[in-house]
Amino acid sequence: MKDGQEKLFFYDPLPAKAVSYNQLLNDLNRLSVYHPCRLPEDSYTIFLDLLSALIHERELVLLDKDLSGYEIEKLDIPKSFFEAQKLDAVPLTTWSDILEKIKNAHRAKIVLFTSGTTGIPKKITHTIQSLTRSVKISIERQDDIWGLAYNPTHIAGLQVFFQALLNLNSLVNLFELPKDHIHRLIDSYRITNISATPTFFRLLFPAIRSFPTVKRITSGGERFDPLLKSQLQNMFPNAKFRNIYASTEAGTVLAAEGEIFSIKPSHAELAKIVDQELLVHETLLGVSNRFVLDDGWYHTGDRVEIISSEPLTFRFLHRDNEMINVAGYNVNPYEVESVINSHPFVRESRVYGKPNKLIGNVLHCDLVSLDASLDELQIRRFLQDKLQPYKIPRIINFVDTLDKTRTGKLKRS
Amino acid sequence: MEKLLQIINAMLAAKNRDALVKLERNFSLRNDIGFDSLDLAEITVRVEDAFGVDIFEDGIVDTIGDVLERIGK
Repeated sequence: MKDGQEKLFFYDPLPAKAVSYNQLLNDLNRLSVYHPCRLPEDSYTIFLDLLSALIHERELVLLDKDLSGYEIEKLDIPKSFFEAQKLDAVPLTTWSDILEKIKNAHRAKIVLFTSGTTGIPKKITHTIQSLTRSVKISIERQDDIWGLAYNPTHIAGLQVFFQALLNLNSLVNLFELPKDHIHRLIDSYRITNISATPTFFRLLFPAIRSFPTVKRITSGGERFDPLLKSQLQNMFPNAKFRNIYASTEAGTVLAAEGEIFSIKPSHAELAKIVDQELLVHETLLGVSNRFVLDDGWYHTGDRVEIISSEPLTFRFLHRDNEMINVAGYNVNPYEVESVINSHPFVRESRVYGKPNKLIGNVLHCDLVSLDASLDELQIRRFLQDKLQPYKIPRIINFVDTLDKTRTGKLKRS
Repeated sequence: MEKLLQIINAMLAAKNRDALVKLERNFSLRNDIGFDSLDLAEITVRVEDAFGVDIFEDGIVDTIGDVLERIGK
């Protein structure tokens, strides 16, 4: 593959920054310090940190930029990680060399956190191998232009980043932009591939026109929505549609055209269904001291309904654990409750999700107050500097006592 | 319209934003009022509680006029 150095690497509309592969190479060569862990200023900074970690084979801890000090403290990251380290100059001249270096960065570690079921965030350490396992590199893909619709500090965003980078594709940041702005960017940058959550896609509507440049739509992170698929086919008439099952622990595991999944014979050693639960083999996982393995298999907790047994096809139903999926993010209700309960006027609380057509679930909270003057606004404001926005309950009910079960939770069984 | 304005202003207060004096039918919830996906989900719950109508029943709504139409005002 020839070096696409003049080619656009990344366009970030906020704050209107376009970086070519050539400029990225210069910026990488100029770096004299390395940040093993920091609150990122913007997506480009995250990409520089990532590439730097790979080229110099260091450990990088990725943090969401909206994490509060309180949340960061819970991650228990050693203080030394927040100190910049000196970098030895490794002169980089061509993109073919850099890509080779990245693909062979076996000692580099990329650390992500996911909401653990116990309330303590679970640390997952990935390698370049686990992050790029599902990346496809080919001549046909060299002119792809990716819309980045995920947070680049999350596994899905990283997978889009590596898919684009390893094919020297251009990336256009669409994450958290208003609908009309996204529409304009798809047209003006002739975006060909968008991978996003159903929530992201739903917010692209209503649209007064279709987008013919897009040839591949990938949906993941939330429950599949057949109605949305048909709406997307009208909006992107030239796009093939793919639904994926992925997790922070394992990256992309399965892909399907709709909600019915199967396990390819070549993947039989990597994923299987036992007692209507998806099990993933440890070879697909990042590293974590919190994985409990059963003879080399990891129980995902994701329950399926078997559609046919020969060949095996199935549909995902729900998770065994209490995690609540809000717009593609997993919220641990115990983490949120413990913050709410730390308010001096709160006796106890219960956080639960109620199904919502737009974002999957809306967080609700039932709360027993110790002071009649406490109101919803005070609670919301109390939580604002302690929790990321998607973890803050949107509806707060003041009650006299809490039910013993999570009453508002969707009963799927 | 008044009840809808109250709902929106309570939500803006939770976002530390100034209250709106009045609503116009052509205001976009996303572009003019600045609601994100979580806010849009929240307003569906609050409007359903107040008016008994799921405003996203037949697809996403964009303007105040759309919301008023769904709740039959």
